[in-house]
Amino acid sequence: MQGASSGIGYGLKYQARCISDVSADTDHTSFLTGTLSLKEENEGLFSHPNEIWDLRSCPFDRRIFSSVSSGESFGAAVWQIPELYGQMHLLPIPTQSATFSGSVIWWPSGKQNKSISIDQEKILLWNLDCSVKIAQVQPQESAGMLHYLSAGAWDPHDVNALALTCESLVQFWDLMTMKKTYSIECAHVHDLEYDTRKKHILVTAEDESGIHIWDLRMPRVPIQELPGHAHWTWTVRRNPQYDGLILVYNLSTPTIIHALFVPKFKEKYT
Amino acid sequence: MAANDVPLDDKAKRMRDLLSSFYSPDPSMSSSSPKLASLDSINTASFDANQYMNLLVQKSNLEVLLKRHVEMAAEIKNLDTDLQMLVYENYNKFISATDTIKRMKSNIVGMETNMEQLLEKITSVQSRSDGVNTSLFEKREHIEKLHRTRNLLRKVQFIYDLPARLGKCIKSEAYADAVKFYTGAMPIFRTYGDSSFQDCKRASEEAMQTIIRNLQGKLFSDSESIQSRAEAAVLLKQLDFPVDSLKVKLLEKLEQSLADLELKIEKLEPAGEDSSNLYQGGSLVDNHEDSVREFSEAVRAYLVIFPDSKNQLISLSRDLLSRHFEALQQYVHERISSADLVNILKIIWTDVLLLDNVLEEAGLPVVSLEAAQVVVKKYISSKFSIFQQDISDSLVGPKERVEEYTLQVALETGKKTVLQGSMDALLDFRLLLDDKLEPVVNLRDLIIDYVQEGFQGFFRTLYDCFVLLSEKKSASEQGLKEMAQSDKALTGLVLVLSQISVFIEQGAIPRITEEIASSFSGGGARGYEYGPAFVPGEICRRFRSAGDKFINLYIKMRTQRISVILRKRFMTPNWIKHKEPRDVHMFVDLLLRELEAAGSEVKQILPQGIRKHRHSDSNGSTASSRSNPLRDDRLGRSNTSRARSQLLETHLAKLFKQKVEIFTKVEYTQESVVSTIVKLSLKSLQEFVRLQTFNRSGFQQIQLDIQFLRLPLKEISEDEAAVDFLLDEVIVAASERCLDPIPLEPPILDKLIQAKLAKG
Repeated sequence: MQGASSGIGYGLKYQARCISDVSADTDHTSFLTGTLSLKEENEGLFSHPNEIWDLRSCPFDRRIFSSVSSGESFGAAVWQIPELYGQMHLLPIPTQSATFSGSVIWWPSGKQNKSISIDQEKILLWNLDCSVKIAQVQPQESAGMLHYLSAGAWDPHDVNALALTCESLVQFWDLMTMKKTYSIECAHVHDLEYDTRKKHILVTAEDESGIHIWDLRMPRVPIQELPGHAHWTWTVRRNPQYDGLILVYNLSTPTIIHALFVPKFKEKYT
Repeated sequence: MAANDVPLDDKAKRMRDLLSSFYSPDPSMSSSSPKLASLDSINTASFDANQYMNLLVQKSNLEVLLKRHVEMAAEIKNLDTDLQMLVYENYNKFISATDTIKRMKSNIVGMETNMEQLLEKITSVQSRSDGVNTSLFEKREHIEKLHRTRNLLRKVQFIYDLPARLGKCIKSEAYADAVKFYTGAMPIFRTYGDSSFQDCKRASEEAMQTIIRNLQGKLFSDSESIQSRAEAAVLLKQLDFPVDSLKVKLLEKLEQSLADLELKIEKLEPAGEDSSNLYQGGSLVDNHEDSVREFSEAVRAYLVIFPDSKNQLISLSRDLLSRHFEALQQYVHERISSADLVNILKIIWTDVLLLDNVLEEAGLPVVSLEAAQVVVKKYISSKFSIFQQDISDSLVGPKERVEEYTLQVALETGKKTVLQGSMDALLDFRLLLDDKLEPVVNLRDLIIDYVQEGFQGFFRTLYDCFVLLSEKKSASEQGLKEMAQSDKALTGLVLVLSQISVFIEQGAIPRITEEIASSFSGGGARGYEYGPAFVPGEICRRFRSAGDKFINLYIKMRTQRISVILRKRFMTPNWIKHKEPRDVHMFVDLLLRELEAAGSEVKQILPQGIRKHRHSDSNGSTASSRSNPLRDDRLGRSNTSRARSQLLETHLAKLFKQKVEIFTKVEYTQESVVSTIVKLSLKSLQEFVRLQTFNRSGFQQIQLDIQFLRLPLKEISEDEAAVDFLLDEVIVAASERCLDPIPLEPPILDKLIQAKLAKG
């Protein structure tokens, strides 16, 4: 991985598909990343079996993170980093399934020790303290339609609201009633994120269409489209401090992460 | 003497006093100078006889004294006689006075009795005359009554004669006399009509009915002179006939005739459109003009007949005008030419002039100018909207024969419609400008502005219309099958739109600008601060960006469809448990078919580009020749332990390889568009591969598919180097994601590909 010209660069031996900031660590600026290596052991500080496709740091405990990995089959797990160098401790009862290729997301603002794992066909709500599965959600969809849930985002303004990507749909779920509330249709979405400051604003990164910004109160058409992406956009993150700064990882200019500045976004759409 | 003197003195003094008091000759004289005359004059009141005596004695001698004495004695004597005379006369008067009084007294006593007699006589005279009066009164009354009856009888006679007289009047058409007679008889009829004169009243009323009928007929008949009609109206009014209702009726009739006029316009229109029927149209125009002339004559007549109906007439004529313009506005929405518009405007204008002669107060020319302005504006805007409809129709094409309606035809007709249409429109508007009709001439500047604004707005809405057309996809959320169908049409449409946008920017706008500059310059009614209404630069910019947008949209839509195929291909199977490759996978066919479809669409519309990359071909071939041995080398190795170093090698090789631009700006050429689609699809393919984990067979399958794709893709795309590079990238990615990347032996690869080719 390369940093910007003026920034600091850290090299990784293998390819990595994920990086996560450790937001629970208030003293240091640190990131967690997991590598992909098909044939060899993962490199790095901590040994992790299998390839890591997704990795999220726990927002309330810097030593805990979740990972999605593939070996013989895909699976999600929650890990605890030991105080000193040593073996990572695997928290019990992660999911294991042949079809799992989704992700694990945490309740974004911390405090709530809940997490959600997104499987291809279901979402599971976990309570981490006791590490006991507290709920399991089975999406009720019309038969014959293959679900392909892949990623999700938890609304930071509403603990019961969840946005999930499903093929060419973005679905919204209410965790209280465990029902789908509504969905918006857009091309295959890779990643999505809620605005942490403004309610009802969602950013999606899509296959061909690039970045779209949606106001969930009027989900028929996006309120803004950010063009300039020749190919897939893979990941999108909003700057938690400054409104209108969006970080997009896209594949048309590989290995370079570039930021888009959206001026006056807030004024324009509130 | 003295004794003599004293009584004399006393007596004289008393006398004198009496006399002076009686006559008072001149008291002022006597009292004014008592001192002066005191001594000399005897005739004063303050005369002192002693003092006078002393003074006389002292002053005079004896002789004088004696003389004085004689004189005085004479004077005294005189005075005495005088006094006596006076007294006598006075007495005389007193006596006669008393006599008179006495006589008067006796006379008055006699008169009183006379007066009483007189009074008596007078009262007796009065009573007599009263008696006469009363005795004559009845007779007088009777006479008077008889007189009245005679008058009444005369009237009755008149009334009995009335019907006959009226009949005579009717015969001689002396309606004025008849009305006069009848109104004279009216009060009688009113009071006694129900009883004694019933028959008579009925008869005369009947006569009057005929008269009224005749008068009405006269009023309504257009053949009568205006004067006589006016008279008839006045007479009817005198007859208490509800003239207002008549007026209303007449005006209604007029209004109905308005409707007739209007209908004639409607009838006239198709004739105006049909040029072969011009004569007929002309005669219709004449008819219309005649009827309007009639109308204006009627208006003139009514103005005379009902002077108070002016406002109504004004509103009526305005109504006619507004009907005209309404009809015209309706008409303007259809396809008409300027000539038609001008023809109708001409007709209306002649109408206006005719009416204006009659009814100047209505201000019809001003109103009609305003209305004409609105109509012309509407005409221009409707012209543009029709034009736009034409364009979108020509683009969408006939819905039934989608198969036959090739994109090329659509593009050509679209282009032709745009250019020809705008030229026609300009020509048409010029006709309007060149016309000498007054309202049109007045509106010249406005028309110029309207045309310029119209074009500006037209292209703006055309752009919106294009965008709308390109977004039809989202609107059609019916069945999947239908959507696929419309999708297919849509891609072509988007491509056509892109090309037409380019054409508008490069071909149509310059022509139109030229045309507008040559014949539609000026205007200026807008005011200079706004600048000219038609800004070609803005439109050019808009359509340039539109062209880019549509071509990119086309590419996006195409690659999205390919993306779906690829996604299905890579997400569905379990690559780790893939079986040995036996055949090239069918997704290759789908992919190639999609690309072919895109190619065929593009070939119909876009120009063939100059093979710019011809010389980079050699570059590409060297690159591929450089990479080929590498690949062969790498593929040739079967040792898994070397995979790691292989990876390093590929990375190194990538570094040294010529940098291949994958994402370049799209040009409006067949090759550029197709190769952009190919490149984007291959990039997607690579990304899909990178998300999977393959076993050996899976990897070999990918290798086989890619190898098969290599040739046709290179044929399709102009940028062979990029295609080669991207295909290599796919293989590399697959080998990276393969647990056991042992490639197929080249002979087997060849054999499988040959088999596929033979089959295809």
